[in-house]
Amino acid sequence: MEQATSEAYPYVIEMLHITKEFPGIKANDDITLQLKRGEIHALLGENGAGKSTLMSVLFGLYQPEKGEIRKDGKVVEIKDPNDATALNIGMVHQHFKLVEVFTVLDNIILGAEDTKLGFIQKKEARKKVKALSEKYGLAIDMDAKVEDITVGMQQRVEILKMLYRDNDILIFDEPTAVLTPQEIEELMQIMRNLKAEGKSILFISHKLNEIMAVADRVTVLRKGKYVGTVDTASTNKEELSRMMVGRPVQLVVEKDEAKPKETILKIEGLSVPSKLHKNDAVKNVSLEVRAGEIVCIAGIDGNGQTEFVHALTGLEKPSAGKITLCGKDITKASIRKRSLTGMSHIPEDRHKHGMVLDFTLEQNLVLQRYFEPQFQSHGFIKFDAVREYADKLITEFDVRSGQGPVTKARSMSGGNQQKAIVAREFDRNMPLIVAVQPTRGLDVGAIEYIHSQLVKQRDEGRAVLLVSLELEEVMNLSDRILVMYEGEIVGELDPKTTTTQELGLYMAGAKRQDKEVKAE
Amino acid sequence: MSYLIQQTLIYAIPLMIVALAGVFAERSGIINLALEGIMIFGAFIGVLFVHVCQKYGVFELLPGAANWGSMQLFEILGMIMAGLLGSAFALLLGFAAINLKADQTISGTALNMLAPAIVLFFVRIIANQEELRLYKGDAAEWFMIKKGMLGLGEKDGFIVNTFLNKVYIATYLCIIIFVVCSIILYKTRFGLRLRSCGENPQAADSLGINVVKMRYSGIIFSGFLAGMGGFVYALTTSNCMSNGDVAGFGFLALAVMIFGNWKPLNIALAALLFGLFKCLAAGYSSIDINGDGIKLLFELSKHPTWGKVLNPNFYRMLPYLISLLVLAFTSKKSRAPKAEGIPYDKGQR
Amino acid sequence: MKMRRFLNKDGTRSVLATLISILIGLFAGALIILIVGLADSKLGLDEAWKGIRLLFLGLFSKGQQAGSLIFGFNSTNIGDMLFRAVPIIMTGLSVSLAYKTGLFNIGASGQYLAGTTATLFIALKMNTAVIPPWIVWILAFLGGILAGAFWGAIPGMLKAFLNINEVLACIMTNWLAANIVTWMFEGSGLQCTEGTKTQVIWKTTHNGVATAKMGLDKLFPDSQQVDGGIIVAILIAILIYILLTKTTLGFELKACGSNRHAAKYAGIKDKRSIVLSMAIAGALAGAGASLYWLSGSTEFHWQTYLSLPGEGFRGIAVALLGACNPIANIFTGMFLSTLDVVGSKLSFYTGYNEYITDVIIAAIVYLSAFSLVIKTWLSKKFKAAEIKKIPDVLITSENAGNDAPPVPKNKGKEGNEK
Repeated sequence: MEQATSEAYPYVIEMLHITKEFPGIKANDDITLQLKRGEIHALLGENGAGKSTLMSVLFGLYQPEKGEIRKDGKVVEIKDPNDATALNIGMVHQHFKLVEVFTVLDNIILGAEDTKLGFIQKKEARKKVKALSEKYGLAIDMDAKVEDITVGMQQRVEILKMLYRDNDILIFDEPTAVLTPQEIEELMQIMRNLKAEGKSILFISHKLNEIMAVADRVTVLRKGKYVGTVDTASTNKEELSRMMVGRPVQLVVEKDEAKPKETILKIEGLSVPSKLHKNDAVKNVSLEVRAGEIVCIAGIDGNGQTEFVHALTGLEKPSAGKITLCGKDITKASIRKRSLTGMSHIPEDRHKHGMVLDFTLEQNLVLQRYFEPQFQSHGFIKFDAVREYADKLITEFDVRSGQGPVTKARSMSGGNQQKAIVAREFDRNMPLIVAVQPTRGLDVGAIEYIHSQLVKQRDEGRAVLLVSLELEEVMNLSDRILVMYEGEIVGELDPKTTTTQELGLYMAGAKRQDKEVKAE
Repeated sequence: MSYLIQQTLIYAIPLMIVALAGVFAERSGIINLALEGIMIFGAFIGVLFVHVCQKYGVFELLPGAANWGSMQLFEILGMIMAGLLGSAFALLLGFAAINLKADQTISGTALNMLAPAIVLFFVRIIANQEELRLYKGDAAEWFMIKKGMLGLGEKDGFIVNTFLNKVYIATYLCIIIFVVCSIILYKTRFGLRLRSCGENPQAADSLGINVVKMRYSGIIFSGFLAGMGGFVYALTTSNCMSNGDVAGFGFLALAVMIFGNWKPLNIALAALLFGLFKCLAAGYSSIDINGDGIKLLFELSKHPTWGKVLNPNFYRMLPYLISLLVLAFTSKKSRAPKAEGIPYDKGQR
Repeated sequence: MKMRRFLNKDGTRSVLATLISILIGLFAGALIILIVGLADSKLGLDEAWKGIRLLFLGLFSKGQQAGSLIFGFNSTNIGDMLFRAVPIIMTGLSVSLAYKTGLFNIGASGQYLAGTTATLFIALKMNTAVIPPWIVWILAFLGGILAGAFWGAIPGMLKAFLNINEVLACIMTNWLAANIVTWMFEGSGLQCTEGTKTQVIWKTTHNGVATAKMGLDKLFPDSQQVDGGIIVAILIAILIYILLTKTTLGFELKACGSNRHAAKYAGIKDKRSIVLSMAIAGALAGAGASLYWLSGSTEFHWQTYLSLPGEGFRGIAVALLGACNPIANIFTGMFLSTLDVVGSKLSFYTGYNEYITDVIIAAIVYLSAFSLVIKTWLSKKFKAAEIKKIPDVLITSENAGNDAPPVPKNKGKEGNEK
């Protein structure tokens, strides 16, 4: 009888009027989300809209201040992930929650081990995992260490973790961010298989194409607030993006035709050794960037872009090749020499390289030029000059912070940290700007701002080398696209004539241009 | 040769067990720099326990008091006491590191300062001198197993002389504990979960593993092993005496742990190597390597040119020098648990 | 309102946190004295009360009459306190400077020993009949500094080039120093042969070398020990403060300590900075040893291979208690040397011994490990009313979700992988 009623109730999970506050911000403000049995339900919102917080509440990682969660119509309390598991809720986190030095099998059973007298019974576990992986078509190598397997396989391990626990409500948090277009297609198919087996899926994303392709319904959040829920069948991408951002979004960056001039950066036959394996991470890369153009290096994460940029900026030593900047050979120059010769660098990881988080904003703003006579004399820092300069940049680039120039960088929001880095690097007026994933993790407003700034720099005659993982950014912003795959440049494409699909094939290594063709 | 092996074991065993203590803490994600302090404290507790029991004649009350077998039980009780209070002492580090998210290096250093201070304070009050010894007799007389006791008095084989004569049961017990603990770490649910907390506590937490509980378990295990190791060290190398010092042994154990790459089998081998060097330093003058009656190292130290280098000072600093060299050569390859030293914060992921 | 603003200052909170740590430490010590007094029939409550009074007021103890303690101004105590503060202010500065630049210098003991050796060799071996003593003094002082710098640079280089954790490297170099020093003095012919003394090295006054009194002997006429060393130490503390806060070098060292990767990215030579930080830290510890031995009022026990000089570890306490601020270190150093004086009074006048002060020092270091917690607690206490006034600009959408709300992490952790 009990069984019958719960089967009849259409919603397997309901989150009603959830409010979750952090000191100073309301991450979730009265949000309602209802998941039907056996549907794929997308949760759409920008970075920082509160999607992850909401899912963490459902998963028991945070406790909401207000609101309730119902399972099959009954109110439940989820205090920690154990409670969530007991309710058969499982989650694939955006950043995988895997123990790298453990084997795949250990990762799957961790937290749900079958034991006899405390000893783990691996044989039974192995059988069960094997059966599951065959049933859902999730190919894995159970004895490989997680650190040695591909990102795609790591994701399959995460899915198997949920299935091993017999979860039937599956949450996917931004699962496609790290995948190639082909892998994404594969994942979509897996999700459809899971749905066919009766699982209910919550799919968190900010990518409209994927949502339209796989989801049945969409709930949209904006700045922590609930915007609405719609059927994908009765909506379109434009409407969804308007709901997500709150205003019509400029999907294409406005820019004129590039007018490239003299060559600023010339790289010939650059190779960089890898820290992970014996082969080179970057193999024999040659390219040129001219003043007044944006050249983009596209590719899937981990194909040598990081090592390439490190070798270019001096953070790592190349094993072969020559780098010429503004006509000077800087292959062996120190980092500071390169930077003074004419290079600005917006680094990939703003917390690791971009900022000293325990320094104040003003100290971070002079990080690249504290040694110039403007800011020091005889080794003593001119504090007044530093303050004046910081104030100027803060106004010019609209960097917002709690206490102005003396704010600790750590306490600033990600977007404003990035703005500060951009301000510091752009204001140095160097002929070459190396920008690596400059918009990672930012909201649409900040992204638009940084994009327009990059175009402005180009129009002022600087050479811009952009490294990006986002296909749309690549297509919108660049004047030329170079695709990097396994450390090699496998193709040069014109964003005006190529398509996302073609770009995807190059990025996945399925297609490549001949060297002869490229040289022309 | 027998002597060399025995002496090496005497130094290697405490190193091994204390290094394993380090493993339990670090695998759960806490850097235990306080191993030295916990050893000092454990040594004091063990010696104090024996001292007090002797003073009040506790063991004379037991049946078969004079029997060597019941003395072994006495010794084991001392080890357990040292271990338990070692755990309690280590909880100070656990509290600072886990609950207060304090800097683990500093709290570990604080415990390393606290242990000798508190031990010397009490030793002075109890014994009215700088060291606490047994109330009567010495360790060899009370606890050492000699081949005669085992009814092997006439036997003179290598095995008997090396492993069954003039030995302490603590040595063998430690080997057994070492093996058992290694199995716990690698074959049980507890071990798997503990290790996951030192590598990726966020992942462990998302799977419903209580990171705080696991880290406390790690530190309790660690304290027990280190405290016990401290007493075993005092018992076998300093004649059951406590003076608020274990001469940097806890730090050597840390080096052994790193050299052993946080893996028990490698640690056992590393401990033997370091034990050998320690043994050379302590007993170079009476070691007869090949049994021909010539004490080569002793002779060398008297040699007019060689003796300038190969003297007691040199042997004494050898373990530390080797540690540094070993660290220098293994640092590129060594793999510390990824999350060690980082306080776990539920809000951060 | 003014009061609140005063209490909200970061500096004020640091000082308060320090005072709270000190008080908790002292009360913990008093508690131990009380419990031991009650538990041990030899001591008893009277003895415990004596002990507790000495613990808090030992600096002003003037001895006892008919079994009861007398308190008042005692120039011997204060002069001795100042003298004993010198080496630990210096090792404290050493630990502070390293800490501010992201390194934990647990090797001050070894650097102190290196400084000791160089200083004593120079001060005792140079012929003062040929070279004037004040030149020998300067050479010995510089020698101590250089030896300390060299010994500190070793773990610095191991960290910079081989990525060995500086804590472990320091521990090993400490014990190496302890053995090497014994070895060097063993064959040095500098052993004191006066009277029945064994295992000590001559005082520097044996060769006529001693630090000038700089008038301090007039201020504290009864103290045999006080000399100009304390003035030198205070000057050095001020110099280090200026170095850290006002200069580009300090900026570079701190940037590198806070985030080695970001510093490298900004063109700062990270390896050079690490070695330099450790070398300066070592130089400070070495200078502390020089100032201590050049006073010529104490003898050096040269058989050090079994234990390390306590100055190095006390330096950690001095530094942490003063929140690693060089100026604050002057005062925390004096506080710790006051405890030293207290310890000797305790073992002189009561059945307790000086180790209780070591217990207190250790407790204070333990507490300072989570002084951040005390500080946060304090700011919550005083800020409760103001929490609603967080500037609006902080409340942007980027703060939520993926960019998790900023949580203070441990200093210098990010990026500085082992």
